[in-house]
Amino acid sequence: MCDFDAVWLDVLKIFPVLGGGSPGPSQPVEEAVYENVRRHLQELGNIDTFAAILDLEIQSVIRNVLAPKFWKHFQGDSVPTDLQTCIQDQALVIEALPDKNKLFTQFIDAINELYHSFNVLMQVKPRLARLMNPEMSSGLSSAKLLHEDSIKSYLRDSLLSQLPPAFSVVVGAFYWVHFKLYTKASHLALTTVDSEVFDELLCVGCNFDVEQCCCLRLTEMVNKTNMKLFEMNLIDRLTGSALTSLIKLKIKEHINDTCQGIFDRSHLKQLEKWLADVIMTWLKSIFTDWQTKDSAKEVEVPPSVQSFKVKLTYYMYETFAQSVIGQFFSIIIDYPDSIPAIDDLKICMEKIDMRVYLTESLRSSLEARILHPGVNTMDILTGYVAAIKAIRHLDQSGVILEMVTAPIKDYLRKRSDTVRRVVTGLTEEGPTDLSEELAKGESIKDGKESGPDEFSNWENWEPDPFGIDANLMKYNNSKIMRSADIISMVVDIYGSKELFMTEYRNLMADRLLAHLDFNSEKEIRNLELLKIRFGESLLHSCEVMLKDVTDSKRINAHIHGDGNINENQMFDISSLIVSAQFWPSFNKESLQLPEEIENEFKKYTKAYEGYKGNRTLNWRTVTGRVNIVIEIGDRTMDMVVSPTLAVIIYHFQNKSEWTIEELSSITKVPASALRRRISFWQNHGLISESSPGLFTLLEKETEKSQFEEMSLAEGDDEDLESAMASASDQREEELQVFWSYIVGMLTNLDSMPIDRIHQMLKLFASHSGGVEFTQDELKHFLQRKVREHKLLFSGGVYQLAK
Amino acid sequence: MKVTIKSWTGVATWRWIANDENCGICRMSFESTCPECALPGDDCPLVWGVCSHCFHMHCIVKWLNLQPLNKQCPMCRQSWKFNIH
Repeated sequence: MCDFDAVWLDVLKIFPVLGGGSPGPSQPVEEAVYENVRRHLQELGNIDTFAAILDLEIQSVIRNVLAPKFWKHFQGDSVPTDLQTCIQDQALVIEALPDKNKLFTQFIDAINELYHSFNVLMQVKPRLARLMNPEMSSGLSSAKLLHEDSIKSYLRDSLLSQLPPAFSVVVGAFYWVHFKLYTKASHLALTTVDSEVFDELLCVGCNFDVEQCCCLRLTEMVNKTNMKLFEMNLIDRLTGSALTSLIKLKIKEHINDTCQGIFDRSHLKQLEKWLADVIMTWLKSIFTDWQTKDSAKEVEVPPSVQSFKVKLTYYMYETFAQSVIGQFFSIIIDYPDSIPAIDDLKICMEKIDMRVYLTESLRSSLEARILHPGVNTMDILTGYVAAIKAIRHLDQSGVILEMVTAPIKDYLRKRSDTVRRVVTGLTEEGPTDLSEELAKGESIKDGKESGPDEFSNWENWEPDPFGIDANLMKYNNSKIMRSADIISMVVDIYGSKELFMTEYRNLMADRLLAHLDFNSEKEIRNLELLKIRFGESLLHSCEVMLKDVTDSKRINAHIHGDGNINENQMFDISSLIVSAQFWPSFNKESLQLPEEIENEFKKYTKAYEGYKGNRTLNWRTVTGRVNIVIEIGDRTMDMVVSPTLAVIIYHFQNKSEWTIEELSSITKVPASALRRRISFWQNHGLISESSPGLFTLLEKETEKSQFEEMSLAEGDDEDLESAMASASDQREEELQVFWSYIVGMLTNLDSMPIDRIHQMLKLFASHSGGVEFTQDELKHFLQRKVREHKLLFSGGVYQLAK
Repeated sequence: MKVTIKSWTGVATWRWIANDENCGICRMSFESTCPECALPGDDCPLVWGVCSHCFHMHCIVKWLNLQPLNKQCPMCRQSWKFNIH
């Protein structure tokens, strides 16, 4: 046989790979060597086996030498170890990396080296072909090495099988630099924020001094690297995920930079344009930039880039929607200026289902921002109304609205002053949301009537949004929900109009009594608007109240015109004459007027009786406004005070020292209340408490002047106290109706627990006037009776006290 | 010291001068209205019979119209005559 060693040397010349270890640069080989090897192989008769051995050998070299060597570049200190552990969030890691440029060069070096080895290996293919050339027929089919891309796939497979976790970070860093280079131009054009960079005269692209800018060189390097990656068929596999997360990061950054906090214009168009102009062209450049240079023919955009675009567009929508939703609370507050942002979100929601996310996030932000004790009720209401408007705009069906606002309603229900605030909001002067809505009311109602049935509008029907709990839909009558306007939504907080109307009546009574100026035009206008919305029957009392005001005005005019009363008149009397049945009940304060003043009122009553036959007046002396002039020393005070205050100071006219008891017995005002009133005059420096319980008039000028300015403000404070019985007092009076029933029950049945009593009373209540009450209220009532010694409570049952 | 009252705006409730509180026919308070009316007082006045019983005018008129023959006071069954003051 021949000399095997010599042949082996020749083989090694052709395929240095077989020698093991790192393949060095292969020398050109002469045809004679081929001839030699070919002959020997033919003699051995199995060139296929040889090809298979070659194949295995190449695989093992790639797996054992190339791949570890390649990966070695990225081990050690290149990526900080703490960052390696939190690999999940690649994008963040990339951003946090201290030295991206180092990684950048590292990556390029590694790729260069890999490419070099790859090229060496690639030479195997033509050489093998050349070796087997003459026996095309038997060889080609079996030699895997000759198949297209087999080495590429070996390389890819073994590289990926040994992929270290931190690698994507390196790739990320590489493309991060590339992106920066790429967007340098647009950066300079677009951002103004980077002015500091200009100051330092650093190039935005490569971070070197502008004079030594190496962007071009770097770009060249990147393009070469891309080309190499592409040739090795590695670009998708090796860089895909890192590239995706990098782009996602860029999208997020861009959205944060351009859209954060700006709601008054639409961003979607501009974002889409940005995605196409910047990101997509950049992506294309990765795949094609190096091609265009050497091949003149039309460069095809790889299909992977196309599918990438779809993915990224969705990602952009999603990120944008999340960003908008995250700021939705501010959007609500800014409404209607923020309509463009809501429109944007609407478009996003058509593409991606974000409903659940929206409701969750909005609920929690509302809870965090407005539903806590630090926010006053009026602000919550304002927020509520704004939320209604904004969400309406977003979602016509009202389902999201219902879900988002439910916690607000629950919360408002717990606040005691809600009703009062709503009613104030409805009627207040000035541009509050609610009063504007109320004023709009008429047109809404007209609109409804003109559109007779919803069937005519069937073309605009939209199905209920999906992803919403079906029970919820059943529970809420969605039709009512949809047609409800803002006022109804607000009133709906309590689920009953009656409660609102009662509160409205109380507030109106307070207002009318506080001003007593017989000027009810505004109230009448409000009432008319409310009537349109809530119907006349609920507001009947209010109507009577306002009529009382106008009637009183007329009666006053008539009585003043009467000659008899004007004789020897001490002072002018006007009176608001109310129909007690229709007003909320007054509180039980009382005041005894001095005789001469009372006589004046008797004269007025007489005049009234003369004017309205068979009717008379019961004066409610505590309520009213008295214009008095106090002359003391050389000073004159002209002020408007409440009757009690006027009477107190009036008494000091004749006697300059009063004990609290004396004063209390003459005015019939309880001592504690009286003391509180006297403090008003004390503040004005007119009266002082010379010894405990003894009040003296200060005739001399003391420190009065400093008090003078407070006068009217304080007087007004007093006026603002409600003359009406508190709601709970009124309630107790209503329950008093049942007292006789309770006595009857307990007489017959001796002793009963509270729930039995409640049950039986409910039975009666349905017959008599339909007063509704809870067991808690009843308990209060019964406990009061126990305190009054009318009932006994022991062992959980109530008994009559004997 | 001298206190002069220049003017006094007071509040009063009006009531009918009657010997009862509720209308014997509709059982509503006199100061309230008969079931047909919305506004009390002038718009829904009281009337007195010579028997001294009084009712909402609308109530008694309706009652009298229902009595075909002898018009009686629903309280005391004396024949009804309006007591004009």
